[in-house]
Amino acid sequence: MTSLVKARSVSKNFGAVRAVDNVSFEIEKGKILGLIGPNGAGKTTLLKAVLGLTDCEGDLSVLGLDPFKQRKKLMQNICFIADVAVLPRWIKVSQLLDYVEAIHPNFSRSRAEELLLQTSVRSGAKVKELSKGMVTQLHLSIIMAIDAKLLVLDEPTLGLDILFRKEFYANLLNDYFDEERTILITTHQVEEIENLLTDIMFINDGRILLDSSMDALSDTYVEVLASGEGAQKARGLGPIAESEMFGKSIMLFEGVSREHLDGLGELRIPSVADLFVAKIKEARR
Amino acid sequence: MIAHQPALIKRELWEHRSIYVTPAAIAVIVTLGVLAMLMLASGFAKELDVAIFGAQNVAGEAERRAVLTGFFVGTSWVFLVALMFLTVFYSLDSLYAERKDKSILFWRSMPATDAETVISKLLTAAIVIPVITAVGIWATHLVNLIVTSLWVSAKGGDAGVLIWGSVSILDNWIAALIVVVASGIWMSPFIAWFLFVSTWAKRMPILMAFMPPIVLGLLEWIVFRTQYFLTTIGERGDMTPLFHSMSLERFFEEEQWRDGVENISLLQHMDLVGFVTDPGFWSGLLVCGILTTAAIYVRRYRDDS
Repeated sequence: MTSLVKARSVSKNFGAVRAVDNVSFEIEKGKILGLIGPNGAGKTTLLKAVLGLTDCEGDLSVLGLDPFKQRKKLMQNICFIADVAVLPRWIKVSQLLDYVEAIHPNFSRSRAEELLLQTSVRSGAKVKELSKGMVTQLHLSIIMAIDAKLLVLDEPTLGLDILFRKEFYANLLNDYFDEERTILITTHQVEEIENLLTDIMFINDGRILLDSSMDALSDTYVEVLASGEGAQKARGLGPIAESEMFGKSIMLFEGVSREHLDGLGELRIPSVADLFVAKIKEARR
Repeated sequence: MIAHQPALIKRELWEHRSIYVTPAAIAVIVTLGVLAMLMLASGFAKELDVAIFGAQNVAGEAERRAVLTGFFVGTSWVFLVALMFLTVFYSLDSLYAERKDKSILFWRSMPATDAETVISKLLTAAIVIPVITAVGIWATHLVNLIVTSLWVSAKGGDAGVLIWGSVSILDNWIAALIVVVASGIWMSPFIAWFLFVSTWAKRMPILMAFMPPIVLGLLEWIVFRTQYFLTTIGERGDMTPLFHSMSLERFFEEEQWRDGVENISLLQHMDLVGFVTDPGFWSGLLVCGILTTAAIYVRRYRDDS
């Protein structure tokens, strides 16, 4: 497998605040990696370092380039949507296409126009005249018309209604993603994207709490729904998190085989959201 | 670096429509003013009507040239004043607005460097806005010469002689272009300062741009009882090296106009060699370079998103 992003002991300080603390990871080609963390965890800082928008300590290589020093070259093969609100409000759609066409060597205007035809965004409209959902459609159409190796999405659907959110991810998967492309995404709405992720990374207080493929996740983590004696026995096996629901205990186990847990209660694959909460609580203990 | 400039500068024109709306508005206002003046003049005797732009019987050729050249220089002056305000407000807004509306994240997602972006704004302020201003001046002159010619012809005068033959249009237009472009280059240290403030100020860039020089000037006066700092800044504004040999007062004295056609040439009063060899020209470019580099650095390293 080819690693597009290689981070070794990457850190970033803002004065006395350590936003990213000595993290190391790799992102391989053809993956969709979800970077999940609470507010202020260091997600956006880490993404900015990957995008060359901020400098950092340690070794960071993206597509074989130093992102901060070689940002212009990097941006020819990386796209990012930082937030739906960042398109300039004064610009016309046609001007935006003119600009990207003139600046970006890997942009296909015809492809962007083709994608825009499937939306209600018209080329003569100004961005400020569009709804938030339409701005997202416009931004996504531009991004999808760029032949990039890595797409970075930082809370791309923030503030959008459920219809636009679903459509956004459906378009991304159906019309954009292939084995040659890699997507790095952060979002708070983790339950909406967990089915499309191939890999997941949890970050808290600038440190990586979990870095795993989704397949490995189901092998490593098991949730047990138990009561009475089964719950007692399960508790003895050292769950990393426990909660109560409808009189039953829900326990989350890490690295405990299913054979050990069989017969103690109902075994389930934990949701990413439940796993995230458990890992954060574990880290804060 | 160069290849992206046309697209980046075009973007500036899309965003800052005042760059071309302002000269167009001045052109319209000046033209309406001239029309009003002509209509007002029509209310007087025929002799006065024609005398305004110099009939051969009433006014001499020299006076006629003086009036028309005065009109040319006067309208150019209005554009120059507007150019000054336009450049200040454009420069202060250009790198501030993109941070305010967060669109900087979109612009920086494109393969254009911070240096390319800041330089495109410097070029827009120092070259593009002056050139558009020059076009505005030319258009205003042309439209008003046509309007005046129609008026003089309607009054029975020979516009070919009285208007078109009385002023060196090409000389005036080249002079206007040189003055506006030279002013952009001469003022480039100020432009670069405004760009730096634009990318650095968290809020109210106009206050941040003007307060430090005023405070420094006051401190100098309080501590040393001297005014070198503010005097240096003030003297920078008079474009002296371009008009070394010209006295504005003498330029409009009647005797000057009676000396002959040569004295009416604005170009003849310009000292382009003196301008580009003046130490102030090069020191200005050096300061501009330093402040532009600082603006690029701040845009590159600043992270307040």
